[in-house]
This record gives sequence, structure tokens and C-alpha cells, in this order.
Amino acid sequence: VKRAQALLKRLWALARVRQMDRDIDDEIASHLAEATDEYMQQGLCPEDARSAALRSFGGVTQTKEVYRQIRSFMWLEDLARDLRHALRMLRRSPGFTTVTVFTLALGIGANTAIFSLVHVLLWRELPVSDPGSLVQFTWQYPGDPPLNLFSTEQYEQFRDRNGVFSDLIGTAPIGLDPAAGGEPLQTEWVTGNYFDALGVRPALGRLLGPVDGAPGAPAVAVVSWTFWKNRFNLDPQILGTRISVGGVSARQAGSVAGVSAQVVGVAPQEFSGLMTGYRPDVWIPAAAHPNARQGGFMLMARLKDDVPIERARAEMRVLDRARIEELARNDPQWLEVTLEVESARSGFSTPLHQQFGRPLLMVMAIVGALLLLTCANIGGMLLARAAARQREMAVRVSLGASRSRVVRQVLAESLLLSVVGSLFGIVGAYLGANALVRIMTSGTRLIGAAPSLEVPIDAAVLLFTAGAAVFAAVLFGLAPAWTGFGSSPAPAMRVTGGTGQLRTRRVFGDGLVVAQVALSLVLLSVAGLYVGHLSGLRNRDLGFDRTSVLLVRLDTSRVPSGRDQLGQIYKELLGRFESIPGVRSATLSGMTPISGAAGSRFVSVEGFEEPPAARRRLMLNDVAPGYFETFGTSLIAGRDFQFADEGRARVAIVNQAMARHYFADRDPRGRQLLLEGDPRPYEVVGVAADAKYADLRSPAPPTVYLNAFQHSRLPSEFALRTSVPPATVVPDVQRIAGDVLNGASMVKVTTLTEQLDASIVPERLIAALSGFFGGVGVLLAAIGLYGLLAYTVARRTNEIGIRIALGATRQAVTRMVLTHALFLVCAGLAIGAMIAMSTRRIAASMLEGVSAEVLFPTVIAAVVTIGIALLAAYIPARRATRVEPLIALRAE
Amino acid sequence: MTPDKSDVLYGTLGLMIIKTLEAMGPLHGYRIARRIEQISGNQLALNQGTLYPALLKLEQAGWISSRWGESETGRRVRIYTLTRTGRRQLEKEEAQWQRAASIVERFFKISDDPS
Repeated sequence: VKRAQALLKRLWALARVRQMDRDIDDEIASHLAEATDEYMQQGLCPEDARSAALRSFGGVTQTKEVYRQIRSFMWLEDLARDLRHALRMLRRSPGFTTVTVFTLALGIGANTAIFSLVHVLLWRELPVSDPGSLVQFTWQYPGDPPLNLFSTEQYEQFRDRNGVFSDLIGTAPIGLDPAAGGEPLQTEWVTGNYFDALGVRPALGRLLGPVDGAPGAPAVAVVSWTFWKNRFNLDPQILGTRISVGGVSARQAGSVAGVSAQVVGVAPQEFSGLMTGYRPDVWIPAAAHPNARQGGFMLMARLKDDVPIERARAEMRVLDRARIEELARNDPQWLEVTLEVESARSGFSTPLHQQFGRPLLMVMAIVGALLLLTCANIGGMLLARAAARQREMAVRVSLGASRSRVVRQVLAESLLLSVVGSLFGIVGAYLGANALVRIMTSGTRLIGAAPSLEVPIDAAVLLFTAGAAVFAAVLFGLAPAWTGFGSSPAPAMRVTGGTGQLRTRRVFGDGLVVAQVALSLVLLSVAGLYVGHLSGLRNRDLGFDRTSVLLVRLDTSRVPSGRDQLGQIYKELLGRFESIPGVRSATLSGMTPISGAAGSRFVSVEGFEEPPAARRRLMLNDVAPGYFETFGTSLIAGRDFQFADEGRARVAIVNQAMARHYFADRDPRGRQLLLEGDPRPYEVVGVAADAKYADLRSPAPPTVYLNAFQHSRLPSEFALRTSVPPATVVPDVQRIAGDVLNGASMVKVTTLTEQLDASIVPERLIAALSGFFGGVGVLLAAIGLYGLLAYTVARRTNEIGIRIALGATRQAVTRMVLTHALFLVCAGLAIGAMIAMSTRRIAASMLEGVSAEVLFPTVIAAVVTIGIALLAAYIPARRATRVEPLIALRAE
Repeated sequence: MTPDKSDVLYGTLGLMIIKTLEAMGPLHGYRIARRIEQISGNQLALNQGTLYPALLKLEQAGWISSRWGESETGRRVRIYTLTRTGRRQLEKEEAQWQRAASIVERFFKISDDPS
């Protein structure tokens, strides 16, 4: 403890060298002054007294020099010497060094990568003043994901009538706006108080003010620093130039004239808007938008001092009540809608947060466990090395090295390993994190621009990595250092063959293997949970056949044909598609399964009454003949739609869930149903099997299919079932579409499987990562077990030799080694199973819909672990049987 | 660097310092130097400056502690105090010193003995 204290003091001293330099100067000065005083009292004149004082003091500069050396530099020299020695030792065993550095790079790199993602996505605060007092608003309609879009009226009502916020700002979701002559711009339309409320200061010019947000004010713009740098090369002349943006996306009908706004300022470099993953190029007052009052706002507010968020939430709910009750008159489900007010410390919560926040935290826990496992693994290897170097240590101790020097040298070795591993790890983390971001942003997205997340390796990340590296080094260096501490020279020097293994060391080594097995079991069972969940999502109860379906969306907005012509053209198109070799059937529909899009209406059926509060909207889909055949959804009863239905009485096909609810056990065929807001009835002509609709995670909803060719607007999502790989027919589809439909362009080409996968990116990500790390974990545990057994067998060579010489059979020797291995594995499995069982609820809660049933994955994981462990134990066990008694004994 | 034992244990300066602090209570550097000189009857040619590295080593070892205070003449000086560890250490050192001294003494007696 004392030595540690001295070490800490010296570290501290290094940190405040200057202060201490001043201190010693002061101290010597007052010493000399005191001495001078005394000499003067003895009767010397001031000059003589002064020189007498200096004389009796000795060399002032020398003293300071010596003082300084003792103070701080000695330990640095020691450290350098330790590191040099460690480097020599590691270079002497390149195999061990390579494996260890690689393992560490993986462990620390994985932690760094996930931490950098979590940091960017969840923890990094907005670079605005007092981000902790910012809150955001969301509301949720039952069954839908939470939304954060509010109408302009709501914004104004909240702004004018609340008593809890010092500011309320509104910002329209960022969209790509085509700019006049140039690349499209990410524009954020904001209320005039945006920058003032956030407390952001301009880098150049001025930011928007309340005047700019007033209706009719001249349109002005603030650009981002990145935009200023990339397009204007930081030229201050940007002030006063005009930027033109289109108000509405050109693809939407009735596109309006663009807005031309004068640039008045540049936002500071660190500020890039309020949404992680989106970096606006330009901020323009929403009042300047041509459709100013139609667009919605996301709301962010700053709490007044001393107002707790609960009070704000309660007050806002009261304010919103009248509107909800109004809406609930037509749809009682609105009564279940509640307004949420949550912290916006790190910006608006985006789908990225909602989808990946909890899974990433889970992965963080997984890689944390992996790092522990890595440490146990390397600790075990170092322990074996330390045992092999026991004599070296003993010699050093007996030659006068203090124990702590020996321990510190062992720690220097682990620190060196850890630092080198971390350096590789950081490189890996940078690549890995960006690869993960690409996967994360690849998912289904219905509206808005694609998020682009930048994952910088910044100070926080590096600090984390350094912390992880030191933590790991201490953890895996602890075992060998501890045994090094206890190394007393005498017994170690005496032992020649190495039978005298310290008991503590043996228990320690065994314990490390048990820990590795336990951790790998936990990792594997968690992986099993997520992999099982994913495969269930992909394959169970879909209600359609996801393989071999090609999806093509055509953009027909520029095709000049009228509805009747288009119907003819589409029929021809479907016929030509079906004639492509390898295509079994073709259809078109308003929605394709699991695209994320949904259409729903209230449906009423004659003779079926239900209380208004129990009414639920039914899912709708406009489909062409051949839809059920193409998607592999079976028709249970009745008939499919026909082209011949066009112009005749309107028909519908319902699925079983709908039929169960509205028609109970009776045959729905021939019955009539009415859609909300549509006076003409539909006659049910068929019943289809249940199929998932917009989302893989929820069960098949009650659904009504309508014949697309009976409607005035034709959908343009084409689907083809193929008997060959779907991608191979794409050129033919393209050619035919070009031939038949002049001016149409293919907007989207994908397969149904890809569309499914895009909707479950979080599940895939966590399954892939947990599976990968689980595999790495079990591999490491196997290596650890192998290492321990190989080392034990080597150490016990002469004991085994004696046993064999005394008549032990080879089987008995094998059994001895395998029993040891099996004992360790079973102990590890027991501990691991307990941990897996007690953490299963947490693991399951990280991903929606995962059941906490871990028994099965744990059993599978245990079987895998035992299998791999026995494989790892087999080689040392065989080596034990090969021991030749004579040779073994001669070695003694 | 570990405090070199022979420096502090058998190097007499460190021992003198802690003994002085034990006897006199908290003192600043100049007073310690003067006290050592007085006790040795001014026979010890002490470079007062060498005191400070020794004080630093003792402080790093945790045997003494220091704080800034005022001297009798009103100057800002660093005042050193013996810690509990230092007191314990001093007892040990004293015992060892006595033993070592008595052994050496016995040697001199033997060689003085005419038989």
C-alpha cells in the first residue's frame, strides 16, 4: 500500500510539475531568508548574512535538480525500463504475442466500436446551451409507432398557452429539396426563435431571429458551416447571396415555385441540427415556405428553471385534451392517444434511436462480457508463462529486486500487450462502426432522406478505449502479478522439473477456465435467443412465400395515358411479364407485404354490431388478379379476382382473421360489407389465408382485399413469382416495361426476401453480432481450456510417467485428464446457466417480441460448449498417454 | 523509483529528520536543519540544501506529511509533520539501529579485550 501511495504521489507530482517547481522555489527562498535573519541577529551585515546563508545551504540549483529528479522522473525511467524488458520478452515468443494481441484487438475493438455508436446515437449531448433543459414531444396512436409531428395549430396553441416552457421551437422534418441548379439541399424549415432558444451563436453574420419568422417577412437563410466550407470555401462573401430551394419535392403533384432566400449568416461548426443522422445544409424560417401552414412541426421546448418534466408533461396533456376529444368523436381510439414529453438532451429521438437504442445497449453488454472473457483467457495464458518463468522471477528476487519491481514488470508486460491490442482495436473499431452504420441505415424507410450517421473516433471514444485497455491489462495481468508477488525464491529455485506447482496458482488457473466457460455459455445462449427469434420472424406464420418473388415499382406519373388506357396497358404488361421464361405469375397491388406501408379503414358489415370503442380499422389492399397465386397466399374458399370484374358489381376478398371477427363461423361468401366514407357495398367472393401485412413483428391483421381494376386509381407495385432466381428476369422486365409503357421508369427493384430483411434490420444486426461474439467466446474458452490442460500435462509429465511406470493404463491417464476438463466445463456451465437464467428477461426486453424462454438456447449452447471443450481437451489428453515413463523420469 | 532502503533506513539523514520531528513536533525546513546542526554540536558539516531531497523522499514514502504555514518570523514556509506510519517506522528503525549499534559496539569491545 505504501509503495502504491508513493507511486500515486509521483504520478500526481508529474501532473502538477509547475506548481511544485514554484513550491520548492518558495521553500528555498524562505529557508534562505530565515537563515539570513539569524546571521544578521548574530551581527553580520545584510550582504554577509546573505552569503553566509547561501554557503551553509550548499548549491541551490543542484538541490533543485536533485529534488526534481526524485520527484518525478525516476518512475518514468523505471517504466521505460520495464517496457523495454517487456518488449524483449514479448518478442521472444511471437506466437503468444500475436494471438494475444489479436484477441485483445478483437475484445477492445468490439467494445470501442459499439461504444462509439452508442455514444453518437444515445449519449452525446447537443452542442447548444444547457441541453439538459430541452424536451421533445411525441404522441402515439394505438398500434402505431410514436410520432413527433404536430400541426401548425398545435404548435401555436402550445406556444401561446403553456406556462412551463421558456421557449417552444418548431422544425419541419428535414427533406431533400431540389435546389435551383445544383445538388439537392437538406433544408430545415424552422420557427424564427430556433437559434435564440437553443442559444447558438453565429460563426459568421447573424442567425435567424423572431422577425424572420413573422409571416410576410423577407425570406432569409442560415447555412451550415459544412455547407459554407464545401460550396463557398469559407468565403465571407456568402453573406447576401441568394439560395433557391424548391418548396415541395418535384415528384409530388402540384409542385410549387421555389423559395429564394438571402443568406444572412453561418451556423457554428459544431452545430448540425437537432437530429442525429441528419445534417441540414440550410435553415429557413418556416413562414417563408409556400405552404407554410400545411406542413407539420416537430417540437422542442426549453423548460423554465425549476419546472420538472413531469409537470410539463401533465400541463401539455391537459392542453391537448380538447383536440383529442374532438378527434375521438369519429374514432374512439383517439382517447387512448397520449402526449409524451421526454428529454431532448441529445436531440430529437429518431427511428434510429427507437430501433437501435436498446439493441445497441444489449450488444454493449455482450461485448463487455466478451472483453471479460478475453481477459480471463489471456490471464490464463500469462499465468502459464509466469509459471514457466518462475525461476527467472525467483532469481531476480534473490538478487535483490523488490517484489513490487517484479510485479510492476509483469504489469508492464500486460499493459504493453493491451496498448498494442488497443491500437489495432481502434482501427478495427473505426471500420466496424461504419460498417454497422451502413447496415443500420439500410432498413425500410417510408419518408424522408436517408440518415447519414458519422461515427467519429473522438476524445470520448479514445478515453473509453484507454480505460478499457488499462482495465483489461490490470485484469489479465492480475493473476500472474499476484502469483509473482508471492514468489519466494527458495522453493522455486529448488524445484527442477516443476512438479511443485503453487496451489493458489492451480486454483486460479482452473478458476479462469471456469469463468471463460461460464461467460461463453452466457454469450451463446443470448445469441441463441436472438438467432432463434430472427429465424422465427423470417419463417414462421408469414402467410405468404417469401422466396422467388421480384418486386418492381413503376413511376407512371409522367405517362400521359388516362385511366382506361392505363388499365389496358397494365393488363398487357402483366401478360407480357408472365410470358418471360422463368416467370410463373405476375400481379400488381397497392401494397406489397412488409413494405412498411399500410392502408386502413373502418369496415361495417350488415348485421354485425359492435360498440364504437371496440371498433378497429381493417387493413386494405388493392390487388390485381393473380395476387394470391404470386405471393403464395392460399385461397381458403371462393374465387380470386378477375379482370372481368371491371365495371361490374364491386367484390372483396377477406382473410380468415377478418372472417372470424365479422362473420363468426358462417360462410362470408355472398355477404356485403361497407367501407367508411364509401356508400357502395362490396360483395365478399372469397376467403384468403391470414398473411402478415405491414410488419413482420405483429400477427396477421384482419384484412380486406379489393380488386384494383375496379378502382379509379391503379396501383403500380408489380410482383412476379419466378421459378428461377428473381434477379435473372430483371433485364426482361425492364425491356418490356420500356416497350409497353413509354416514359415509365423503374423506381424500385427488389425481392420480397430483401424487403423482409430490410424491415428487421435491428433483429438481424443483434442476431449477427451476438452470434459472432458468441462464436468467438466459445472459441476463446476452448483455447483457454486447451492451454490450461496442455500446460498441466506438461507440468505433470513426470508424475504421469511414474503412474504409467507403476502400471496405470493409458485409458486411466486419459480419463484423468478428461475428468479434470469435464469438471471445469461442468462448473462453468452451471455458473453460466445461472447467469443466463437470471439475465434472460433483460436480454429479451431489449428487442420487441423476444420471448424470455432461454432454456432451449441454453441447452443447445451447453451441448455445443461441451463438444468443443472435449475437442480442446482431446489433444492434451492424448499427449498425456504418449508420455514415456523412462524419458519422463530421466528429465527429473 | 522505490525509496532506496539503505538511503532511508541506514542513511542517517532521514533518520535524523524523523527523530527531530518526533522530538520537536511540526517544523519547517530551516528549523529542522538548525536543530540537526545543534544536536550534532555543529560537528556535522551539513549542506542544508541536501535536506530537501531527503524530506521529499520521506514524504513520498508516507512517513512525513507537509502543509504550507507561517514561520515564527511570519514567512510562508512548508511545515513538516511526522505521520503515524512515520512514527511506527521510527520505532522500528530505532530498534534496528540500537541492535546494529550494539553489535558494532560488541565488536569493538572484543577487539579491545586483551585475552
